[in-house]
Amino acid sequence: MSGAHDLAVVGGGVHGATVALFCARAGMNTVLFERGSLCREASGVNAGTLTMQMTRVALIPYALKAHAMWASARDWLGHDVGVVVCDGLSLAFTEREAELLTFRAGKRREAGAPIDLVSPARAQEVEPGLGPGVLLAGHCKVDGYANAYLTGQAYRAALIEAGVSLRERTPVSGVAREEAGFAVQTAAGPVRARRLVLAGGVWLEEMAAWLGIDLPIKVLVNQLAVTERVEPVMRTVVGIASGLLSLKQYPHGTVVIGGGWQGKGDRERGGAEIVPESLIGNMRLACHAIPALKNARLARAWAGLEAETRDALPAVGPLPGIPEAYICGSVHSGYTSGPYLARLLAQRMLGTEPADPLFPIDRLLAPAAPPTPVPSAAGRAADEQPHHV
Amino acid sequence: MALPKPHEADLVVIGAGPAGAAAALAASRAGLSVVLLDEAASPGGQVYRAPPAGLSVSPGKRGPDDDAGDALRAGIAASSVVWRGSARVWSVSGAFRVDAVTPSGNESFFAPRLVAATGAHERLVPFPGWTKPGVIGLAAATILLKSQGMIPGRRSVVAGCGPLLAAVAAKIVVAGGAVAAVVDLSGPGDWLRALPGLARRPDLLRQGLGWALKLGAARVPVLFRHGVVAVEGAEACERVVAAPVDTEGRPRGGSLRGFEADALAIGHGLVPGAEITKLLRARHHFDPAAGGWTPVRDAFGRCSVAGLYAVGDGAAVAGAEPARLSGQLAGLAAAHDAGRIPLEAFEREAASVRAGLARMSAFAGAVGRLMRPRPAMVEAIAPETVICRCEDVTRSEIETAIAEGARDINQLKHFTRCGMGPCQGRMCGETAAGLLALQVGSREEVGYWTGRPPLRPVPLADLLGRFDYGDIPVPTPAPL
Amino acid sequence: MTALRFAGGFERGATVTFHVDGAAVRAHSGETLAAALLAAGVVALRRSPRDGAPRGAYCFMGVCQECVVRVDGALRQSCQVAVVDGLSVELRGAV
Repeated sequence: MSGAHDLAVVGGGVHGATVALFCARAGMNTVLFERGSLCREASGVNAGTLTMQMTRVALIPYALKAHAMWASARDWLGHDVGVVVCDGLSLAFTEREAELLTFRAGKRREAGAPIDLVSPARAQEVEPGLGPGVLLAGHCKVDGYANAYLTGQAYRAALIEAGVSLRERTPVSGVAREEAGFAVQTAAGPVRARRLVLAGGVWLEEMAAWLGIDLPIKVLVNQLAVTERVEPVMRTVVGIASGLLSLKQYPHGTVVIGGGWQGKGDRERGGAEIVPESLIGNMRLACHAIPALKNARLARAWAGLEAETRDALPAVGPLPGIPEAYICGSVHSGYTSGPYLARLLAQRMLGTEPADPLFPIDRLLAPAAPPTPVPSAAGRAADEQPHHV
Repeated sequence: MALPKPHEADLVVIGAGPAGAAAALAASRAGLSVVLLDEAASPGGQVYRAPPAGLSVSPGKRGPDDDAGDALRAGIAASSVVWRGSARVWSVSGAFRVDAVTPSGNESFFAPRLVAATGAHERLVPFPGWTKPGVIGLAAATILLKSQGMIPGRRSVVAGCGPLLAAVAAKIVVAGGAVAAVVDLSGPGDWLRALPGLARRPDLLRQGLGWALKLGAARVPVLFRHGVVAVEGAEACERVVAAPVDTEGRPRGGSLRGFEADALAIGHGLVPGAEITKLLRARHHFDPAAGGWTPVRDAFGRCSVAGLYAVGDGAAVAGAEPARLSGQLAGLAAAHDAGRIPLEAFEREAASVRAGLARMSAFAGAVGRLMRPRPAMVEAIAPETVICRCEDVTRSEIETAIAEGARDINQLKHFTRCGMGPCQGRMCGETAAGLLALQVGSREEVGYWTGRPPLRPVPLADLLGRFDYGDIPVPTPAPL
Repeated sequence: MTALRFAGGFERGATVTFHVDGAAVRAHSGETLAAALLAAGVVALRRSPRDGAPRGAYCFMGVCQECVVRVDGALRQSCQVAVVDGLSVELRGAV
């Protein structure tokens, strides 16, 4: 296979780009395929929140290390993604939310997140913009946000500097196994590589199918909204106990409002449509938390796709039965944890033992049998009653 | 959550200018129940804008537009069309749901068919100083003159291209204001070439010649084949500098002419405000003659999305009368598609409207050529000129982003914040796309801003309504 | 009332008084706030976010967002607001 690359990465979001970056820096001749432009799907249109208080318990150790990576992006990525490290609050306005918060903060604390439960008065000191009615708050010093829309620009420069052969606007139609690796099919013909990483976000299901692997991936359609620039109304990342609000004001004055309220869309159309009730509900929640927001104007709303596996834990590791093929993605709060998980995979591919365990997909491939319990499954079951009915 | 009671109709029409009003009336006459929404308090659109309550035009000073506007409003009032004014449409979704902030809060309207008739906005190719207070659009000047009884400044320069130049300048003169100069990108030769087309609308040609005569009588200097190259002043427009340009509007050297003025009314043509068809993901194509990106439509305004019709200058810039006829066709088509007009009657009625529209095409084509986009002007913009007014993004910052790999307009937005401000890219979009097209080869490659709600910025307070925390339908928490 | 309002052809509504950053401004009922501000010589309505440059009403038809001011506390496009007696208007600095 003369002229073959050491590594082909399919998918140019945070996961694919990070694997490509570390592998290329370690000397692999790397090619990265992206059907559009880098980080323009989930990695570029998400809310940019780098919080522990919305992260799954099993991912807390990873998210803490990823948070440190984002905070030092200038050092290892070499380019700015507008990261601000600040305090974070998760609020409870009702007794039920206070129970939920106490339970969830406790679990996350056990997993290593430095979350303290604080009084309304203390919460008000941390975030003077808070409205009345807070019963209890989770306070975490390790929080913050990035400017997600800058992700592609930063990674693009870093990948080029690392010598990655960058193929943007190059859709891949399939991958064929060959004697010494893989043939990645593009409109311009096949591109060969000895190793393969599939990092296609919500499109991982189709990608895995290229190699005969049946990996169901659920598609969430998360709505987000942003105000126009306004005077300072808040200085922390604010959420609520259920996790269905994320709110922060960027240094330039816009306020990004999210929390996973669902819009309409799918893999074919992307985040096609905003559901007005969901948007209004999300805005009400936001203005309840930070009343001064009412005086701002909504400038733009959009929806992005988030990938979720059957157990809502990542798909990061080797593809079973296919030597030198890997998968990387489907991470809940994937923007927060993505760089660290992807770097772990790169470590594994480079022959070192990853500093933390990967999330191999074997557990997700069992046919109709019930899913194997995972560490957090018990917590999830006990916790999954609807919040408001 | 208790949203106000939905309003259901056979057809919702967004925009009550000549196109939207005609669509609503045609559909309503054919038996459809129609809701007509507009941001303004009364129907009429920009061209037939009603004088606001409290101001009135004296009987002797009424022009043909005043009469046409009154006729339009009387037509709507006498019809069964449900008129909802002061309605800020912010979301259009599904097939179809329209959400609007009205004086009574957020209201939702539902109909299986939707006519988008949202009109055009002005193109302005930036130059140093174009952001200074006192610099306004030509259409803005028209609004001040026609519906506010105001001139734009104590001493104005009127610049750009097309018939509005003479109209605005003459109206300022008639009102007793001073016009320091008219600066026209076109030359006398361009106007001569346009004459046969313009002559197809003798009424409008006569009106235009009348304006020109008034300017001549007032000895207003007219600079043909000139463009504005700078506006100077500390806090606002104090001086307007013009220079000779070539046929494409590009400064070609030659002596600068400066005019003391506290107002500059300037416009370089019109751009269809096709935000609704973009939001609904209809197919669009780039058509410079129509003003830019325009929805792909059949002869009746039907778009690629079933049940969606686009009419008037918001679909393809052609002027008020063609807009009215295009609206009428879409109204008929909506009624026919809903099974209310049999094929034969539909074809008969449509044929006469289409014939009228065809007669307009020579005039619209002549005006369109005078007001055509001029990519060379975009190419000539100086590096430090602000392109995006909302976010203060300069041409050189856009060029840097292009050098860093931005290849389409939405990626450029991510790299620079150009287009992320409250005007939602309406003021900078044409220029930014033009700059990108110079590098990547074509406007088609560059694409257009992805349609996003809200269609205009909405105060959150207007969206929220009254609510109790317990009523917010918070979905099931994410897994722990 | 000022040099910009022309006499011929317009019958104006009643005089109203509103306040801009505390200073009284007179206008006529029926005028938009943007036009009334222009007539009163208040042309710089905000400062641009990065350069701090003055900006004023540009399109007068609801598109450009340059004429946004706080009206009785809420952000409004002044070209879409009719003046009424007692309106309290605050101009925005650089936001």
